Amino acid sequence: MSCDSVRIRLLDYQQGRLPLDAQSEVRAHLDGCPACARVGAVEHELTWVLEHRLPQHPASLALKRRLAARWSATAARRSWWSRGRPSLVPALAAAAVVLVAIPLVSHQRTASRLASERAAVVAEAVNDHLRVLSSQHPLDVESGGLHQVKPWFAGRLDFAPAVTFAGDADFPLKGGSVGYFRDRKAAVLVYARRLHPISLLMFRAEGLAWPASDLTRLDGVEPHATAERGFNVIVWRRGELGYALVSDVDAVELKQLAAKIVGGS
Amino acid sequence: MSALANEALAYADALHNLARYLTGNESDAEDLVQETYARALRSAHQFAPGTNLKAWLFRILRNTFLSSYRRQRHNPTVGGLDTVDAQSQGAAPSDWLLGDIELDRLRKVVAEEIEAALMTLSEEARTVILLDLEGLTEVEVAEVVGCAVGTVKSRLARARATLRQKLRDYAR
Repeated sequence: MSCDSVRIRLLDYQQGRLPLDAQSEVRAHLDGCPACARVGAVEHELTWVLEHRLPQHPASLALKRRLAARWSATAARRSWWSRGRPSLVPALAAAAVVLVAIPLVSHQRTASRLASERAAVVAEAVNDHLRVLSSQHPLDVESGGLHQVKPWFAGRLDFAPAVTFAGDADFPLKGGSVGYFRDRKAAVLVYARRLHPISLLMFRAEGLAWPASDLTRLDGVEPHATAERGFNVIVWRRGELGYALVSDVDAVELKQLAAKIVGGS
Repeated sequence: MSALANEALAYADALHNLARYLTGNESDAEDLVQETYARALRSAHQFAPGTNLKAWLFRILRNTFLSSYRRQRHNPTVGGLDTVDAQSQGAAPSDWLLGDIELDRLRKVVAEEIEAALMTLSEEARTVILLDLEGLTEVEVAEVVGCAVGTVKSRLARARATLRQKLRDYAR
């Protein structure tokens, strides 16, 4: 693959949007081409800057209240609703009624915000895993065992990563690095399943919304499993720390690793 | 309340964020979001179940902006990305070899600078960058902006290259 071909595909490569064979070709080219690797590093940094430093402008509470009031008024005009899509329009009308009812406005606002924030937690976990995959140096410390990796984090994080699973024959620990999860630092441990890397992100959970648990309770924690952009994701919270496990391995295998980590931590 | 209604409500923040970056001010952004939801309700019967509600709402918002706001109000970058002159567009493939200096400058960019740089881009460039950040696929972005997937890919690449050039200037 030529340099021009690689550079056209860099963003897709970094976001995991290429077919597997093309992904491998680009990776191989980057390993052997310092110039393209530098371009890749700049693109990666631009993505990071956009995701972490670009100011966000959420809707104000007043705007959301006005939207609700307008929907409610629209609901009263039966002709509009009768032309609308049956499953969507009455639902939005119901939402409007709930939203404008003062005692319930706060609840609805919170529900909407939480739904968005919960989705953002999963999306960020996948983004961080992709950063690990696309990084030129995904591991700051190569694993000689957890006893070597954990001390390496000392002084690099504002919390102590709580994990004791040191890897085994099925899921060997490859190493670790420091990353970011949204607006906070994260400890990143990378395990493997055959040739598939698995990222375990650990971060302070304060202020983050969590998806509703849908897995069997594991040793005191309530995990949530989902899939996004082709990756399986399991997130859970224990104490002050949040955990996200992300990989393209089979969902069953990822749950096996989650159980080992939860059981050992 | 249905899950679909919850989903529609949950996108108010994302819609407002795009509206804010399209209009450049809070007042117009709020008007744009309100008009977007009003139009969405009026044309709810056109929404195809199983398709992406978020992308559908983004498309309505952008079309509303193009049909109403851009004609009426001052916009710093009238004209599409493809009409921006070559100098401001910058970053031809041969310029991509910027290396460690650009990387170092990017790392020093602060929030105000990246927002200011983004606002200097054309509406099309801002839109594709923000929709990509929202996690929309290229197919979904193509549906929102009404062009081919390949066009989205090239527009996004050019938009990011231009943004990099602007940020390079800010960081000097």
